[in-house]
Amino acid sequence: MSVTLTPKDFATATPAWWCAGCGDYGVLSALKSALAELGKTPENVAFVSGIGCSGKISGYVHSYAFHGVHGRALPVATAVKLANHDLTVIAAGGDGDGYAIGAGHFMHAVRRNANITYIVMDNQTYGLTKGQSSPTSATGYVTGTSPQGNPDAPINGLAVALAAGGSFLARGFSAHPKKLVDLLVAAIEHDGFSVVEVMSPCVTYNKINTFAWFKEHTYYADERPGYDPANRAHAFDIMMAEGPIPLGILYRDARPTLETLLHLPATPVVAADLTGVRGELDNLQNAYA
Amino acid sequence: MVWNDVEIMFGGQAGDGSLTTGDLIAGILKRLGLEIYTYKDFPSRIRGGHTNYVIRGSEHANYGMADMVDVLVAFDLEAVSAHVDEMRPGGFVIFDNSSETVPADLRRSDVTWYDVPLAKIAKEELGLALVRNTLALGVLAKLLGMDPAVVRAAVTGVYERKGEKVVAINVAAVDAGGAYVERHYAEWPSGYGLRARPDGDRLLMMGNDAIAYGSLVAGCRFMAGYPITPATDVLEWMAKYAPRFGGVTIQAEDELAAINMTLGASFAGVRAMTATSGPGQALMTEAIGLAGVLEIPVVVVECARTGPSTGMPTKTEQSNLNHLIFSGHGEIPRVVLAPGTVEDSFYIAAQAFDIAEKYQCPVFVLTEQALCQSKATLPRLDLDRVKVEREKMQLEPVEFGAYQRFADTPDGVSPRTIPGVEGGMHLAPGSEHSPSGVITENSKNRTRMMDKRMRKMESMHDDLPRGIVHGDPNAPIAILGYGSNRGPIAESLDRLAARGTAAKFFEFRTLWPFPEDDVRAFLAGAEHIFVVENNYSGQLERLIRYVTGPLESMHPVRKYDGKPFRPIEIIGAVERFASPDERVLVRVNRT
Repeated sequence: MSVTLTPKDFATATPAWWCAGCGDYGVLSALKSALAELGKTPENVAFVSGIGCSGKISGYVHSYAFHGVHGRALPVATAVKLANHDLTVIAAGGDGDGYAIGAGHFMHAVRRNANITYIVMDNQTYGLTKGQSSPTSATGYVTGTSPQGNPDAPINGLAVALAAGGSFLARGFSAHPKKLVDLLVAAIEHDGFSVVEVMSPCVTYNKINTFAWFKEHTYYADERPGYDPANRAHAFDIMMAEGPIPLGILYRDARPTLETLLHLPATPVVAADLTGVRGELDNLQNAYA
Repeated sequence: MVWNDVEIMFGGQAGDGSLTTGDLIAGILKRLGLEIYTYKDFPSRIRGGHTNYVIRGSEHANYGMADMVDVLVAFDLEAVSAHVDEMRPGGFVIFDNSSETVPADLRRSDVTWYDVPLAKIAKEELGLALVRNTLALGVLAKLLGMDPAVVRAAVTGVYERKGEKVVAINVAAVDAGGAYVERHYAEWPSGYGLRARPDGDRLLMMGNDAIAYGSLVAGCRFMAGYPITPATDVLEWMAKYAPRFGGVTIQAEDELAAINMTLGASFAGVRAMTATSGPGQALMTEAIGLAGVLEIPVVVVECARTGPSTGMPTKTEQSNLNHLIFSGHGEIPRVVLAPGTVEDSFYIAAQAFDIAEKYQCPVFVLTEQALCQSKATLPRLDLDRVKVEREKMQLEPVEFGAYQRFADTPDGVSPRTIPGVEGGMHLAPGSEHSPSGVITENSKNRTRMMDKRMRKMESMHDDLPRGIVHGDPNAPIAILGYGSNRGPIAESLDRLAARGTAAKFFEFRTLWPFPEDDVRAFLAGAEHIFVVENNYSGQLERLIRYVTGPLESMHPVRKYDGKPFRPIEIIGAVERFASPDERVLVRVNRT
């Protein structure tokens, strides 16, 4: 392919419907840049999203986009990849979609390690339903459904993924576009299931975890001595440490993908010969004769 | 006396091998040229609890159990106490009296008793307690007059892969069983004798295997499922065979994932399916609605069992019909098909994929435990009857901007591109959308898109499997039913006719869209209408009444005790109400 693509090639005619200043704009912009940088073509990208403000993102990326039901983006994306492993498959959703209603699938998608990328746009709140607490909201976070303060401990999605056997775990910040593009490029290029959690502040409902708050409470792990993304114990330490939130690639290893372990044929399943194998199919009857 | 219609029941504790032996007997009876139907009645646990396996062998294909049990092979007293009252007078019992005795009150005098210390002989004479079942087979074979060569060959075939020693001891067990009968019961003939007929080119297949096989032949190359009784066989079959044909099968983490995976694979262009039972079906409901609005073809096999909730997971019921037709928020085009035999399970499953692909909507294949986990003999399947048409799938590049994934068309079906096709990029959203896939809440668009999608329910009419009218189409007695009830109802017709009552039977093969015209035509002139179904509330009857309105002449015949109908229960209902005009609900549950 000699044509050079730009982020605009992944833009849709539909304007994004997020609040002005929403962190999700940064994610959208970085994703389009990453796809262009990787030389992907829109027809070979399948983009699956869940429900919530973040789920709307699939409507804004020129591709084959699937905007399904709440919490189920990962099973859909996994199957799209199994059906056609030539596609670049990306799933995206928010902290509610991925860590609450879809939490069950998250763990299993991680351990399956299909070669797809999952972007979790984390704003620590339920934006689309007007600001309730989410699985990543801080304990004590006061909302309409938690007037006495959120009683639950926040979940650390990347640490959960690490425990489940994650092979590429990264965290970005939507206010750092260049770094985010690099993370997404690395994630998409990773041969396995890649998780990119993006701190994507909700400017309307979350008055605590704001852009300013994140700037103050984050750091890039690779800027600290001893950074070793191949070391699982080290990754767990920095993920779980009290204090500032680590950004960047926090863990990466190489392990066989789902496609490999299922022994998928080189020909994508979608291209399997359905009619030329009638004789062989007919022979299956003999086992019952 | 030759008796080529025999129902044999193996009863014992779950995990004691009676299912394996039951399968073995089914295979032997097939070799002897009989038509087979098997029914597994087992508890929802792996070890312990009463289980029984019914094998019916007959000269005519009956697709269901007989009125009564002819032969009971009872490995314990519980099997006797649970089933001795189901026995036909003149039948016989083989009872393992190694450690128990049958008390006088259970020892019916109108059946013959063969007390054989099966476990004891297996352990002490053959040196392996495990061969008790094969020993019982030897006793049975002798009492039924089966050809010993056929029995030995079948036993050899089953145990071959376990090695020569295992084959040898099992063959010895068969012989020992026969010898025991000769020694102790030479003067006590069973009254039964099977006459061998040519086997012919026939198959012995389980309903679930037929569904999976039909799916694969129809081009299904993706299955996602979550293990659940009685649907797991479909997943296991596809896991074994789909990869050999370039396909993939995946065990999902739950049914939510299974159905969403099925949608994902189909979105990517692969013919895809899942299979489940009631509890899983409930979880899949939301995504089925998504398939409807995204116009994604999916085939969902529902192997119904007793509900609600966990219900009786290994028992049969037809109480999920409402769920398949009416579940979900919002309205979508959907199809519910129901095969009535193992053979039809193959063809209906295959056809489900063509209908799903042609009309881009969910298609359910509804079956139930009494059919999907039963084995039956059938003629060799004709794969040429299965066409794989990709219909409006658009694989050539299209012009982006001009192409509309959800274009409003006369038949409601839009050209479908799949990822990889140049120019066909679009958003497939669960939100209401325009013909090009843009999310919109515009009222005019909403009406237009609802009309477009629901129009498919009309345009698919001629592609749906037609119901079958059995018996005399002018008979005054009309019976309606579907699925596993096809067997007992059809058998009832013949026997009613022999007793002077002319009756006809409409076997539904499509339950939704409801075949109103066919039902109306079938019921024209009927004096008494019997709706036979395995549920409490009359789910099928209500569908019929949408067409007919309330009718004094309609008699519900219902059963919801977890067991399939036996023909006599249907015959009894018909004979009871064919003349008096009182309308009484006939419940034929065992008490």
